[in-house]
Amino acid sequence: MDVPRIVRTQISTSELNPPQELVEAVNNGTVGLLEVVKALGEYLTSTEDEVRLKGLTFLSNTLKAVNPTKINRQATQTLTNFYLSKLDDFDSLPPALGGLTVLSKLSTFDDDAAVEVYKGVVENVNMKAYVQATRHLVYVLFDSLLATHRNALKAMGASFINSYTKMVDGEKDPRNLMLLFSIDRVILLEFDVKDHIEDFFDITFCYFPITFRPPPNDPYGITADDLKLALRKCMASSPYFARMALPLFLEKFATLTGPSMKDLQLSIATCLPVYGADAVRERGAELWEGIKTEILYSSDTSIEAAALSALESLIRTLYPTESDAPSGLAQDIIKECLEILNEPDKTQAVAATKILAAIFRASPSAGKFALSQALPQLFRQFNSPSVPSHRSPILSTISSLLVAVQSVYTSPTSQRKQEEEKSLDPYHTGILDVLREGLRTEGLKSPAIKGCTACVQIPGFWERDDVENVVRGLDDVLVNDEDPEIRPEIIKSLTTISVHHPTIIESLTLPLLFHNLPDSAPPASDHLHREKYRSILSSLNELCVAPALFQTLVIRITTKLDLISTSSSSTSNELDETMDEAESEFDLRECNIAYSWDLLNTLQRVVDKKIKEKHQDLIRYFDQIVPRLFTLIVGASTSRDDKALFRDRRLIGIVARLVESLVWVLNTEKQSQWFSAIYQAFEKGDWTGVVHNKSQIGLGGSPLRNGAPSAEQDLMALYAATIQGLKGDAALPFSSPETFLGSKIHWTINVARDGWQVKWSLDLICAFVNKRENVLKESLETILDSVWSVDIQDTSKDLEIRRRGLSVYSYIIKALSFLRSPLSYTAVERVIDILSLSNLDPEFVPFAAAGFGILAQGKGNGHLTAKLLYAQKMWNLVLPKLIEGDKEATGTGRLVYLVAFASLLPLVPASLCLADLNTILPLILRSLSLPDPHQRVNAITTLTSILETASDSKEVDKAIHTHAEVMVDALLKSAVRQEGVPTSGKVRSIALSCLSLFPDMIRFETLHKHKSRVIKELGRTLDDPLRTVRKEAVECRAKWYRYGNAT
Amino acid sequence: MSRQLDNDNPTIFAPTTSTTSKRIQKGKASLWSQEALSDEEELGYSSGGGSGSGEEREDIDAEEVYDLLRSITDPEHPVSLEALRVVNPDDIHVAGNRVLVYLTPTIPHCSMSTLIGLSLRVRLLRALPPRYRVDIRIKSGTHQSEHAVNKQLNDKERVQAALENKHLLNVVEGCLSTADKRGSA
Repeated sequence: MDVPRIVRTQISTSELNPPQELVEAVNNGTVGLLEVVKALGEYLTSTEDEVRLKGLTFLSNTLKAVNPTKINRQATQTLTNFYLSKLDDFDSLPPALGGLTVLSKLSTFDDDAAVEVYKGVVENVNMKAYVQATRHLVYVLFDSLLATHRNALKAMGASFINSYTKMVDGEKDPRNLMLLFSIDRVILLEFDVKDHIEDFFDITFCYFPITFRPPPNDPYGITADDLKLALRKCMASSPYFARMALPLFLEKFATLTGPSMKDLQLSIATCLPVYGADAVRERGAELWEGIKTEILYSSDTSIEAAALSALESLIRTLYPTESDAPSGLAQDIIKECLEILNEPDKTQAVAATKILAAIFRASPSAGKFALSQALPQLFRQFNSPSVPSHRSPILSTISSLLVAVQSVYTSPTSQRKQEEEKSLDPYHTGILDVLREGLRTEGLKSPAIKGCTACVQIPGFWERDDVENVVRGLDDVLVNDEDPEIRPEIIKSLTTISVHHPTIIESLTLPLLFHNLPDSAPPASDHLHREKYRSILSSLNELCVAPALFQTLVIRITTKLDLISTSSSSTSNELDETMDEAESEFDLRECNIAYSWDLLNTLQRVVDKKIKEKHQDLIRYFDQIVPRLFTLIVGASTSRDDKALFRDRRLIGIVARLVESLVWVLNTEKQSQWFSAIYQAFEKGDWTGVVHNKSQIGLGGSPLRNGAPSAEQDLMALYAATIQGLKGDAALPFSSPETFLGSKIHWTINVARDGWQVKWSLDLICAFVNKRENVLKESLETILDSVWSVDIQDTSKDLEIRRRGLSVYSYIIKALSFLRSPLSYTAVERVIDILSLSNLDPEFVPFAAAGFGILAQGKGNGHLTAKLLYAQKMWNLVLPKLIEGDKEATGTGRLVYLVAFASLLPLVPASLCLADLNTILPLILRSLSLPDPHQRVNAITTLTSILETASDSKEVDKAIHTHAEVMVDALLKSAVRQEGVPTSGKVRSIALSCLSLFPDMIRFETLHKHKSRVIKELGRTLDDPLRTVRKEAVECRAKWYRYGNAT
Repeated sequence: MSRQLDNDNPTIFAPTTSTTSKRIQKGKASLWSQEALSDEEELGYSSGGGSGSGEEREDIDAEEVYDLLRSITDPEHPVSLEALRVVNPDDIHVAGNRVLVYLTPTIPHCSMSTLIGLSLRVRLLRALPPRYRVDIRIKSGTHQSEHAVNKQLNDKERVQAALENKHLLNVVEGCLSTADKRGSA
C-alpha cells in the first residue's frame, strides 16, 4: 500500500477522514501507524496554517478510527508530546484536543502523561479566546482524564482544583454546561474540596436559578429542566456548600417567582439532606418561613407541591429517626397549623392539612407528635363544631392525615411500619367513631369513605371487627344513597377492601346486594326500581372481578336467570292484561328480557375484565356457566311455549358472546372436548355433553336438520360462538373439514331463515376458514369456485340466494385476507369484475359493491388470526382497480365503484389515504353524496381524520383548501334532515363534528363568503330530533360564529 | 384591572351534580341500557334504521337549556356561571316554544347583570332553533334595579344595538368561549 500517496490525495482533496482501506491496513498490521505519521510529516510541520491544520486533523481522525490496540506505548508517548507542543497553536488546538482525548483513553497512556496533558492545557489554552465547540473539546478531554486517571489528578491537590475552577469560570453555553455540571459533581464528590469550596460555589451557584429558554427548533434538544436537574445535582454534591448556599437560598425566597421559585423549592428539597442537620438547624426557622409562604399562598399547584417536598426534606433532615425529639421547629410548625385549623372552612386549612401530612411522611418522631397534637383537637372540633358546616372540612382533614399515614406504612420503599411505630393506636376509637358518624351523615360521606379506605389498608391497625363494622356502614350507603357522586367512591373503597379482606365483602356486601336484586323484572313504568337494579349490577360489575368474589357472582346470577326463566313461563300472560296498555308500551316479558340481558351483560363484562387481567380462575367456571346457559337457551327453543323468555334473540346473542369468551380461555384439550360435545349436539342431536340438565330439553334433534323450527335454528348463534372461540390447534371431531365447511355454507345459503341467522353462520364460516386455512388449503379454491358458479353467477336463482352466496364468498375472502393468503386476492378480483355489470344485473351489483364493507370490518374482538399489514395489502390491491373501473364506467355505472370505495374506506387508517390524496380526495368528496348513510359515515370519518392531520403537510393543506367549498356544501347536506333523503343520527352528528373543524383548519379568506349561509343552514340542525345531534350542531354553529373574528 | 370589581370575592359553590340527567328516558331507552341498544344497531336489526323516520324525538327540555348555559364564564371572574349559581337548573322553564330563564346576580347592585343576561341571550339565540321565544329575567328580589334590567334584556332592538357594538360583542364572545364545556370541568 502506498501510504504517502493516499495521504497526499486525501490532504490535497481536503478529504480529512482516513479512507477505509487505510484504517483496515493499520488494524491488520500491514501498515504501521508510524508510516502514516511519516507520510504526514511535511504537512504536520508546514508553516502554512491551513496545511498544518489539515495534516493534524487527518492524524487525529486516523487515531479515532483505528483499533486502539495498534497504538503502542512508544507511539502514545510520542504522539502525546507532539500534540502537547501544538496546544499553543491557535488553529491547531481543536484537532490536537481531539487527538489527546483519543490517547487519554488508551491503556498505554499513564498517570504522568495525564498530569502532563492537564497541565499543558491549563497553561496554554486561554478559554475566553475560543468558540463554544473548541471549549467543548477541552471539557471532553477533562472528562476523559477524570474518568481514566482520577487518582493522578487527585494527587495534584490544590493546584488541580485551583486551575480547574479558573478554566471553567464564565462558561455560558448550555451544551458545555451540561458537561461541566457532571464533571463538577465528580470533583465535588471525590476530591478534597473543603478548602476550595468558595471557588466551587462561585462556578456553580452563579448559575442558579437557571432561566435558560431553548431557542425554537433547538437541534441540541437541551431543555431548561435538563440544566436545572444537572445543576441541582451539583449543588447537592457537597455538604461544605451549606455555609454559603443556605443564605443564598434565603435571599432568593424574596425575589423569585414562577418556575424559578419551583426550582428553588426543589433545589432546597434536594440539598438539605446533603447539607446535614447541624447546618440546616441554624437557618431552619428562616427556611420554613420561605417554604410556608409558597404552601399557604401560592396559586400554582406545582409550586405548592415543590414547597411541600422542600418542607418534607427539611423535617426529614432535622428529625431523621424516631429517637430525635420533635422539639424546636417541628413544634412551632405544628402549632401554627393547628391554629389555622381552628377555622377549618378557610382555604388555608387545606394547606395546613397538607403541611401536617408532609411532616408525618418526613419523620417518624415529628410525625407521631403531629398526630398526637392534631387528632385530639380535630376530634373535639368534629364532635362540637362551632358551626355545623365545619364538620365536613374537619373530617376531610382527618381523612387526609389518615391517607398520609397509609401511604407511609404501605409504601414499598419505606421502612416504617404501624406495628412498630403504633402512631395511630391511641386514637383507634376516636377514628372509628368519627368515620362511622361520617358514613351516617349527609355531606360527610365522601371524606368518611376516603378515611375508611385508608385505614383498612394500614397493616395491623384495624381488627376484623372494625373492618366489618365499617363495611356495614359502607353497604348501607351503597344500597340506600341515590347520590350518583357517592356510589363510585363506595365501590372503589369496597373494591380496595376486597383485596385485603375478601371474606368480609363476600359475607356482608354481596348477600346484601343480591338480596336487593329482584327475582323478576319490575314493570316498564317502574323506573325507580329499574334504576336500582342497574345500579346494583354496576356495583357487582366492579366488585366481583376479584377471584374470591367471582364464584358468588356466578352462582347468584345463574340462579337468578333460572328463576326468571321459570317464573315468567308460569305467570304467562295473565299479568299483561291487568296492565294498563296506555301507561306502558312494553309487556312484562319484554321487561324480563331486558332484566335478563342486564344480568348476562354484567357477567359478560366481569368475564371480559378477568380475561384482560389474565385471571387463571376463569377456566374453572366454564362448567358452571356454559352448560347452565345452554340449558336455558336450548330448553326455551325446544319448548312448546313460543313465548319462552330465552327464545329472545337478544338473549341468545349475548349468551353467544359470553360462550365465545369462555371457550377462548380454555386450553386446547378442553376446547377439543367441548367442540366434540357441541358437534354431537348440533349435528347428531345429542345434547348430553353440553347441557346441565337434560330433562329440561324438549325433543332431541339437530337444530340444523331440514325442517327444524326457526326457534331451534336460532341456536346456530351458539354453534358459531363456540367455533369463534376455538384456537387453531384444537382437535376437530370430524375427519373432513371440507365437508363440514360445505355443509355450513349450504345451510347459510339455502336453509337459514333470515338475516339474523345468516349473520351468525357467516361468522362461523369466517372463523372456521381463518383458523383452519392450513387444513382446508387445497379445497378452499374449489369451494369458492363452486359458490361463485352455482350460487352467485346463476342469474336465474333467487336474488336472496345470490346475495347470501356473495356474503359467504366475501366472508371467506375476509378470513383469508387476514392471513394475507394469495387466494383472497384472486377471489376479490372476481367481485371487482362484476361491478362493471351494473346495467345487466341492476339489483345484485349494488349489493356486491356494498359488500366491500365486509372486508373493512376489521378483526373484531381479536379471536381471529391476523398478520401484520394485511389491511394495507388488500387496500393497495383493490383501490387501483376500483379507480380504474370508475374511470372506464359511465353514467350510473360509476356509482357502484364509488359505493365499493366508500364501503372499503374503514379498512385502513386515514394516514394511508394522505399518501395518495390527490386521487383519493375527489373520490371521498363524491362519496359524500351517496344515498346510503353508512357509506357517507365512512367518507366523513376519513375526511375528518384528513382534516385533523392537515396542518402537518403542505400538500394536504393545499388540497383541502382547494376543495373546502365543495366539502362544506356536501357536509351541510348530510347534516340537515330532508324529506325523502335517507339519513341517520350518526351521519348527521359526524357531519356536524367534521364541519366544526373547518374554522380551525381552513383559513378564513377561503370560506368567508359562506360564513353567513353556513350559520343559517346550521340553524336548521338545531331542531334535530336527537339530542346528541343537537349538541354537535350547537357547538359547530358556535365555532362558525367565531370564525374569522380576531381573537 | 383598573376598574374596581363589583364583587371581588364571590362565594364559589361546588359544581352541581354531574351532567348525567335525572331525565326519564322514553321508549326503548327506558327499558334497555345504552349498550344493548348500540349492539342492536350494530347487528342491524333495529327497525327504524335507514330512513330516519323511526327516530324517537327527544324534546328540548330545561336540562338541555341549562347545559347550554352552565359553562359560560362570568365577565368578572374566570369562573363559570354554574359555580357562582347565577344560573340554576330550577330557574329554567321550557314550555312549547317558549323558554324562560331567571338569573340570580351574586349581589344586588351587580352592574354586570345586563352583560350576563346579554351573554345568555346570545348563547340561546345561537343554540336554540329559531321557533323558540326566549325570555331572560332577573330572579325577583335579587337585584335593586330588576325592572330596568328586565326591560333592557327583553327589548329586541336594544339587544340588536348592543350586539352591533364591537367592543361589547367581544366581551360577550369572551364569556361564551367556554360555553361548550357544558359542565365538564
